[in-house]
Amino acid sequence: MPLLINRAVVEDSWLLVDEDNLAAHINDDIVVPFELFEQNLETLLKADGQLGVQINGDQDVNLLLPHLAALALIAIEFPAFTDGRGFSFARILRRGGFTGQLRAVGDVTRDRLDHMQRCGFDAFAIPDDRYSDDILSAFGEVPVRYQGSTDDERPIFRQ
Amino acid sequence: MYQYNEQDQTLINARVEQYRDQTRRFLAGEIPDEEFRGLRLMNGLYIQRQAPMLRIAVPYGQMNSVQLRKLADITRKYDKNYAHFTTRSNVQLNWPKLEEVPDILAELAEVQMHAIQTSGNCLRNTTTDHFAGISPEEIEDPRPWCEIIRQWTTLHPEFAYMPRKFKIAVTGGPEDRAASQVHDIGLHMVKNDAGEVGFEVLVGGGLGRTPVIGKLIREFLPKRDLLSYLEAILRVYNLNGRRDNKYKARIKILVNAMGIEEFRNRVEAEWEINREGELALTDDYIAKLKGYFTPPPYAADAVDGLSVLENQLEDNAEFRAWYERNTRVHKVAGYRAVVISLKPHLKPPGDITDVQLDAVADLADTFNFGEIRSTHDQNLVFAHVAAGDLYTLWQSLRDLNLARANIGTLTDMIVCPGFDFCSLANAHTLGVAEQINEKFDDLDYLYDIGDIKLNMSGCINACAHHHVAHIGILGVDKGGEDYYQITLGGSSREDASLGKIIGKSVPQAEVADTVEKILHVYVDNRLEEERFIETVRRIGLAPFKERVYAPVN
Ligand code: SF4
Repeated sequence: MPLLINRAVVEDSWLLVDEDNLAAHINDDIVVPFELFEQNLETLLKADGQLGVQINGDQDVNLLLPHLAALALIAIEFPAFTDGRGFSFARILRRGGFTGQLRAVGDVTRDRLDHMQRCGFDAFAIPDDRYSDDILSAFGEVPVRYQGSTDDERPIFRQ
Repeated sequence: MYQYNEQDQTLINARVEQYRDQTRRFLAGEIPDEEFRGLRLMNGLYIQRQAPMLRIAVPYGQMNSVQLRKLADITRKYDKNYAHFTTRSNVQLNWPKLEEVPDILAELAEVQMHAIQTSGNCLRNTTTDHFAGISPEEIEDPRPWCEIIRQWTTLHPEFAYMPRKFKIAVTGGPEDRAASQVHDIGLHMVKNDAGEVGFEVLVGGGLGRTPVIGKLIREFLPKRDLLSYLEAILRVYNLNGRRDNKYKARIKILVNAMGIEEFRNRVEAEWEINREGELALTDDYIAKLKGYFTPPPYAADAVDGLSVLENQLEDNAEFRAWYERNTRVHKVAGYRAVVISLKPHLKPPGDITDVQLDAVADLADTFNFGEIRSTHDQNLVFAHVAAGDLYTLWQSLRDLNLARANIGTLTDMIVCPGFDFCSLANAHTLGVAEQINEKFDDLDYLYDIGDIKLNMSGCINACAHHHVAHIGILGVDKGGEDYYQITLGGSSREDASLGKIIGKSVPQAEVADTVEKILHVYVDNRLEEERFIETVRRIGLAPFKERVYAPVN
């Protein structure tokens, strides 16, 4: 699955763990599903290695807000392209001061990349069958922005 | 009206090319059907029963003559020489080809038009009062605010994939000609005790399967906070609206489930964070947009036309009938607003031909400063016609079959396209509208009945707002046959109310007869000067039920 960061395809250096292999990788750079993160909060925050969390729209993004400084990555899952909660999650997390990698995972395809970037995503995990080399042209297809958003908070009347 | 600057034009042009590329990739098999559906809907393209349908935005109902001529041209080139006006004051083409839509959009962009967000689960076209800027009752012209909202909603990156569609209506004062209480958000310009003008905000109104009147969420919102408050509402909705069932996904369901108190608390909490941010409107921006909506150069001697008009009204009963039904008061003496009826005898309500479009554009140039408005009830408005021009304008409109003197009467119906065009429909509507038109052809009878609102939808999606009509007709399917359920007592005005079902649905052949029975009950019971809706409210449904369902002997 190609991973785009800052508009370039890169190797994914993170490992998504589950309940079974969490202990074995506790000191690696890992992405922990939200429930596991909640259950093992203290251990995780003390472990070596960088910490990431994966969250989806059914979970409470506010619970992450107190821990943003300890997190190097947050992956927001889009279960379907029609599910737009992740856009608001991204804005809330960035507004809360999150500066790490904000990664879109799940149903992440070309025609939403620009909106995602505007809301604060900087990494996109794109399914193989939906990846093509011209995908980068999706960014900035419409160069005028009426609203402020995370990439530039100024609406058109302040630009 | 608003004129695009370079940035607006760049955006529209870029959007056309973006959609052209999306269409190309879809046709090349690179975008799955389901996903392209989402993309094309966000650009107004439906796949209908017979052909695709393209819905073109008419932001808050404002058009100029150049745009109208372009629409005429497009219907000739890409469609079947007619267009259809909708209850969101938009315009629809019923026969475009999917492959040609990018070309249509490119032509529209030449005249500052587009189809952005006219469908799909996103922020839709904002609507307002078609008498904005000329109504004597108005506190402030709502159109600059509509334009501010238009810009903010257009391609908003956070709210393009919401649980369901989202509609905002704005009124300039207490009078409500925009059905604002049945919108996801209704904004009313109000003055507070300190004499400042701001907005009263309603939330969670809507029609469809679960009709709800909007609830008051904020009594007074300062103008500068308009966008930050809207954004707060939208964020709470985007995060919490139901996504598991499309019939429960509108904000009205969320507000009802949460309760307005809790919903308000969440919105206000979100607003507190954003309120002082970059979204706060600047005085410069507000002033700049207001500058686009200054009154046209009214003629100082327009009042001189009043005496001429007086004579014309006396001499010609037909003209007088039209004047009384189809024109409205204007805040400038010597001017009237004219409603152009798109409800001619035996033609689908809201339809207009290419020839009529061109002619209306010419008339607008001659008599109305080149401006045309589309209304929530599927008519057109010339908002600034000098008294001395009314007679000539009437003659021209009459020759175009656009002067039927039926505005506000029974045959000024709102009717959705129904089974003939819409793939969601349960029943036909256009044939039934014809049946009603045939039955109530006598103008004197219609004038005697007076102000009455009849709306008809072809299914529970309620595009024709039947719940808020005095007489609402809803098409239902009963074992493969078209039946019609009738509601009475709805209103979309400032006294908004939902109609109540009078009893079991009636077969297609009996709809007009049933309406006639209902009108009989009204005529038998009305007090002097009492309008239909007032009689219904006073006497209740029982007498109507009794007459409609009386055993035949
Ligand atoms: S009310 Fe139903 S039939 Fe009529 S246009 Fe809407 S969806 Fe179609």
